[in-house]
Amino acid sequence: MVILGLTGSIMEFEPELDRLLHPELSYITPEGRVLPLSEIGDAASRRFSGEPVVAYLPSLSPNLSSQVVLPSGIAYVNQHTGEVLGMRTRGQTFLGYVRELHVRLAGGNFGRNIVKLSGIAMLFSLASGLYLWWPIKQVTIRGKWGTKRLWFDLHNAVGIFSLLPLAILAATGTIIGFENQVGPLIYKLTRSSPIHITRSTPPEPAPGAAAMTPDEAVAIARTHMPGAIPYRVQMPKYGGLYVVALLNPRERVAGDGNVVALDPYSGHVVSLSRSSDLSRGDRIFGGKRSNSYRKYFGNAEPDRSLASKHNGIRSSV
Amino acid sequence: MKRAITVVLLLTMHAMAGDVTGKWSGAFKVDGADHDVPQLFIFKQDGNKLSGSGGPDQSEQYPIEDGRVDGDRVRFQITTGEWKFTYSLKAVDAKLAGDLELKSVDNRRTAKVNLSRAQ
Repeated sequence: MVILGLTGSIMEFEPELDRLLHPELSYITPEGRVLPLSEIGDAASRRFSGEPVVAYLPSLSPNLSSQVVLPSGIAYVNQHTGEVLGMRTRGQTFLGYVRELHVRLAGGNFGRNIVKLSGIAMLFSLASGLYLWWPIKQVTIRGKWGTKRLWFDLHNAVGIFSLLPLAILAATGTIIGFENQVGPLIYKLTRSSPIHITRSTPPEPAPGAAAMTPDEAVAIARTHMPGAIPYRVQMPKYGGLYVVALLNPRERVAGDGNVVALDPYSGHVVSLSRSSDLSRGDRIFGGKRSNSYRKYFGNAEPDRSLASKHNGIRSSV
Repeated sequence: MKRAITVVLLLTMHAMAGDVTGKWSGAFKVDGADHDVPQLFIFKQDGNKLSGSGGPDQSEQYPIEDGRVDGDRVRFQITTGEWKFTYSLKAVDAKLAGDLELKSVDNRRTAKVNLSRAQ
């Protein structure tokens, strides 16, 4: 429980801590206009031996740098000047290890099962505590310092005031851990069903046809989601399509909720998912159907929507 | 002596992957994850060099990088975005099986992969 609480608290501030650990790559001084993505990508590619751009992670804040995903790592670029600030290669970091501890105690399947069961154990412990507290209903501390009574009163008072947030924490953690089993129940309770996003295969391009630029792809994607801000643009060389993920500031559902996939030659929309179209059950699970992280690692992984509720509650305790 | 050399050569040839050119399908499962992820590769082997593409299915393919075939060992990488996939496979009975390392900018995971020739 202590490990889960500590690691969860660190994860709550993961983006901030990550930037704190890499300030020279993360922070920039806003100046002038924002360069087109193609210029940002060219700058990164030139700096790193002409490597192709895999994806763009445009900055969502004027004083934070943009990121360009290359095969050898993630390049950080000042989107106002085109200056390449450096690169981070892929590999395990402290924050990644903290996440591993939180999700599976860094112990594979065995650790994951312990974490899952600890949620149930905590729920049981809270329920039994409430059962024992109910007959006395004590919230005040009357015991004197150094007596057993003081500790008994403290246990009662702290326990009852922290019961609700701890119960929500344990319940959401248990739902995350047992999502495969709990998922059907959630959809039944919300009277909804998972939204399945279909993706058609675009036709073969005409000989000599030129692909769109990433900026053109983003412009098309934004016409389908007015007001949304692009935070990820996958290049068609990697996966066959332009895939633009957008963040709608008015919505709370994160993850890959708003995604437009485009034929790189015609610009036709091949698939479109909006977080506003997600069913109530999908919203609880954060639009998991299209989330690439879950595609590889499954349901029992930290994700934005339910995990952020879990984290938000935990940080307020 | 000649017989011994012949036997060694035959054993060596048996252990080699041969030409892996063609379609291979299968799946990987990340250690600690709860499901199999489908895989489809379209390999092109030219000597020791391996190129082509791979991904979850035919419609989502990523280019193979740094591909090599050395004897019965097949090694290559794929970048799917923030994640880099590094495959270290071994040819065993017309199948490719082995390890996969997945690395992001802050995480490293491992998986077991099994592939067989697709029709």
